[in-house]
Amino acid sequence: MVDKLLFKLAGIRQIMVKLAGLSFLQALLIIGQALFLSATLTDLWLGKPLRSQVFNICAFSVCFILRQGIDLIDAKLLDNYARQSAKEMRKRLLEKIFILGPGVVQTQGTGNLVTLTLDGIFQVENYIKLLLSKMMSMAIVPVLILLVTFWMDITSGVIMLLVYPLIVLFMVILGFAAKAKADRQFSTFQRLSNHFIDSLRGIDTLKYFGLSKRYSKSVYRSSENFRKTTMQTLRVAMLSTFALDFFTTLSIAVLAVFLGLRLIDQQMSLFYGLSILILAPEYFLPIRNFANDYHATLNGKNSFHAIAKIIHAPLPQAPEVELTSWQATDGFKAEQIGFSYDEQNGIAPVSFAVKGYQKVGIIGMSGSGKTTLINLLSGFYTPDSGEFTVQGHKLPNLDLADWRKQVLYIPQSPYVFSDTLRNNIAFYTPDVSDEEIYEAIKVVGLERLVAELPEGLDTKIGSGKRALSGGQAQRIALARAFLDKKRKVMIFDEPTAHLDIETELELKEKMMPLMQDRLVFFATHRLHWMHQMDYILVMDEGKLVESGTYSELLAKNGYFCKLLSEMRGDTDAK
Amino acid sequence: MLNKLSFFKASQHDSWVKPFLKHYKKTLWLAIFLGVLTFICAGGLMFTSGYLITKSATPPENILLVYVPIVLTRAFGIFRPLLHYLERLTSHNWVFKMTSEFRRKMYDALERDAVFFNNKYRLGDILGLLSEDVAHIQNLYLRTLFPYFTVCGLYVFIIVGLGVISPLFALWMLVLYGLLIFALPLWSVIVNGARQEYEKQIKNALYLDLTDNVLGVSDWIFSERANDYLKRHEENEAKLLTTQEKMRKFERRRDLVGQFIFLAIVVSLIIWASGRFGGTETDSINWIAAFVLCVFPLADAFMPLPTAAQETNVYLDSIKRLNALPHPEEERKKAPAVTAPYELQVKDLVYAYADGHHNVLNRINLKIKPGEKLAILGRSGSGKSTLASLLRGDLAPTAGSVTLNEIKTTEFGDDIAKYIGVIHQTPYLFNTTVVNNVRIGNEAASDEEVWDVLERVGLKKLIKKLPQGLETMVDEAGLRFSGGERHRLALARILLKDAPIIILDEPTVGLDPITERALVKTFMDVLQDKTLIWITHHLQGVEHVDQIVFIEDGQIELQGTPKQLADNKRYQKLKQVDGGY
Repeated sequence: MVDKLLFKLAGIRQIMVKLAGLSFLQALLIIGQALFLSATLTDLWLGKPLRSQVFNICAFSVCFILRQGIDLIDAKLLDNYARQSAKEMRKRLLEKIFILGPGVVQTQGTGNLVTLTLDGIFQVENYIKLLLSKMMSMAIVPVLILLVTFWMDITSGVIMLLVYPLIVLFMVILGFAAKAKADRQFSTFQRLSNHFIDSLRGIDTLKYFGLSKRYSKSVYRSSENFRKTTMQTLRVAMLSTFALDFFTTLSIAVLAVFLGLRLIDQQMSLFYGLSILILAPEYFLPIRNFANDYHATLNGKNSFHAIAKIIHAPLPQAPEVELTSWQATDGFKAEQIGFSYDEQNGIAPVSFAVKGYQKVGIIGMSGSGKTTLINLLSGFYTPDSGEFTVQGHKLPNLDLADWRKQVLYIPQSPYVFSDTLRNNIAFYTPDVSDEEIYEAIKVVGLERLVAELPEGLDTKIGSGKRALSGGQAQRIALARAFLDKKRKVMIFDEPTAHLDIETELELKEKMMPLMQDRLVFFATHRLHWMHQMDYILVMDEGKLVESGTYSELLAKNGYFCKLLSEMRGDTDAK
Repeated sequence: MLNKLSFFKASQHDSWVKPFLKHYKKTLWLAIFLGVLTFICAGGLMFTSGYLITKSATPPENILLVYVPIVLTRAFGIFRPLLHYLERLTSHNWVFKMTSEFRRKMYDALERDAVFFNNKYRLGDILGLLSEDVAHIQNLYLRTLFPYFTVCGLYVFIIVGLGVISPLFALWMLVLYGLLIFALPLWSVIVNGARQEYEKQIKNALYLDLTDNVLGVSDWIFSERANDYLKRHEENEAKLLTTQEKMRKFERRRDLVGQFIFLAIVVSLIIWASGRFGGTETDSINWIAAFVLCVFPLADAFMPLPTAAQETNVYLDSIKRLNALPHPEEERKKAPAVTAPYELQVKDLVYAYADGHHNVLNRINLKIKPGEKLAILGRSGSGKSTLASLLRGDLAPTAGSVTLNEIKTTEFGDDIAKYIGVIHQTPYLFNTTVVNNVRIGNEAASDEEVWDVLERVGLKKLIKKLPQGLETMVDEAGLRFSGGERHRLALARILLKDAPIIILDEPTVGLDPITERALVKTFMDVLQDKTLIWITHHLQGVEHVDQIVFIEDGQIELQGTPKQLADNKRYQKLKQVDGGY
């Protein structure tokens, strides 16, 4: 219930002290309000005129107003504190995401990260707010009320004291029961709730099979099943609220009857009797509020922990060496580089050496480990074993700024930001002139796109605006590469896998000149690229099975030749 | 005045929220009735308790004189939680029932454009929105509409009850409670409504912007410009936070005003009760405490209303979006039936999008004979997939015609599935068992028939090895199977359906060449006796077909048998590249 992480927030102690003070004041005002109301009612009952009650009524009103005023201050304090904490947390989370980069994005999922950063933190804000205020009033208000009750009438105090743990006990028991039931149904639950989304995602397939109209009934049916199981769970889950309600109202009823009997026996005054009756609901109010909001805070708690995990994730140790701009004489070596995601996937230790402005092809079937190798070379992954040697420096990984500064990384689908065409092209070189941009456009063959755009370079492109085709996105990436002449290392990850063959050929023509005077790593499963490579790494099932120049590999007549012939096998058979 | 509130404006032409209120009317009334009773019990408990205590203090000669209030106190104490529990169950049950209807309606609305669903709506978007919309409407009912109905019932009860005792005072209460129930929420909606609208806009913008940049995170890191972005984000976020702060501030003050009104009600009650019942020696003096105390529990009913009303702004988009969905399709007239042999004919086909800018397809003529294998080649965007949709009759030609045995394919409706089957780029596997996925082709197929087709597509071994065999669940979106295997499952499905004409819509995009080659071979083998229309942008395996058509800029650029084309320069070059030469 009490969350240790909460106490690590900055300034939590000060705010808690303030809240405790406010809750204390609030409790006093609640008691004052009850006593003055009780006094008024008692005097009126005794037959005194309304005029004589002006003081009591005013005192009651003042207590009431002050109490609400304190509520307002309390809420304001919490609002501001929670907002500040949330803002701070969001800042740290974003900074972390933009340092950890694709690694964390891949494991957490883009959607999840974005939701966590925005909604997740709003939930946390709410969580901090609810938990702090409810906890404080729960810890202070009932205690003071109980003390006053004891002072007025010991037996009533005992009744109230006894009911409290009973409520907590039943809530816990019923809470567990509901959870067990919910867990048991969880799998069916999931399946049913997913059914609708599943039907929608596959709706075109259903239509192709002529089943889509009939599926409407199935959607309804499974939704109804969902309702029935949900209601079964709710019946139990809502019991805990019921128990809370039941014990509070019943104990008020019992108190009332009990007070009535004591009054008949003339063992206490009406003033005390009414005071206790008025105070009783206030005594239970904090725990009721807490229980009502408890479920609302659960999401916040989960998000809070998920966020803290990312924020506190260790940063990879960046090697402390200085790399210079890549030159024709520089050497790059990988020695026994190994990496695994889990027991089955990853790459076995890989070693190779290249130098200067060589073009290195990495070829293999899907799942052969090409992308993993690329991610190691670009510094997204840290190898489990082995080391790189770059310009004579030994490095455990390539996650260092000096390496990133000279790398141009071009993935299968280069990302096009929702921004103007100009900003997209000049992403790496924000200061270039329009002439240079137009030159880049010419070099990579984007003239037709520019001509089609209503506002030329200033047209917003990207998802949701004006989506580009895969080929166009590749050309934008190439334009970035053309403009950023300082970067001398190019890393490609299957840049043409999704393109049609004619577009691929056109792109190849544009790409090859850009690879001049650069160190290039080029992963692909399209064999024709290999002719242009100076050195080829052949991957199969996570292992580097062969390496060498094109002609060397042909001469070896090994796996590479097998790949070639298997691809062409079809043709040869004819 | 009301028209200024966007919620009322939106609900005027609403076909998604209001009609459902009429559904299951009895349960709805029951839920409201239980809700009103719950609060009556809550008030009743304090009312009888107050009466009981003051009466006991008289003190009465014997306990029997307070017997009735004692029983009532206990009864109210027990019934309040019980009714509350029942009320919540009833209202939730009602909302879930409504949700079922709702989902069906939503599905029917989307079914109309089923084939283009994935193109038209960005999948993640629409699914996220739809499930959010359902949740929003559920909340609208549970958190705004039901409480309002309940409070209105309670309002009537209080005013009528007091009216019987003292009409003038009832009028005064009518005003005070009216302020709580109508004026305060209205004020809240008007003042915070605009802010909420603005908040929503910034939030959406932040969402889009952040998603965009998280997707492009590696570019930010490589360009070493991550801090530029973080600064930009912080600036945008500040706008959001200021708006939220303003909203909270208003809410805090509004709640304070609500409490002032409530105080006015309490004090009025004291004054009224002392005048009405006080100053006498009779039994009626005991009613003072009863009337004053019973008002406190009712605050629970009134205080959440402004927030509930304000929330309608949040639901507004959902209501608008749902109402913008197409209306479910009317039942079609009976589809025509044709018999073998099947011949597809395309005559002078022209297709242009609704905006009419340029023709996607221009004067296409094709004749596809029974059993013929046709490959359609072309770049992405050349109109190949549009041609497939036209062939199946999912799109209607702008000019010219597509006919199956002389009947326009658009006239078959869903029955076209009997004649034409489709495998497209990413075949969808439903989140159910393997056997259920295959049986989509033919729900009556026996296990033997399923095994038979699985064997033909080369999956029998793999599935036999799975611990649960045919009953293995295909994980969400078919992720358990690799790209090639998914296509094979889709093929098995098609084989069970046994349609005479099959369209393959770029089924091998993104697969590596070896997997691709094996898959193409399987396609060719098992679909041997069927008419095959194969849309592709690779030439891998294309020599197996009878006829090749190159489409460029919406026109047929090149056409012929593989042999005829063998001498064509362009064909040669592409063929060579695909072979890795």
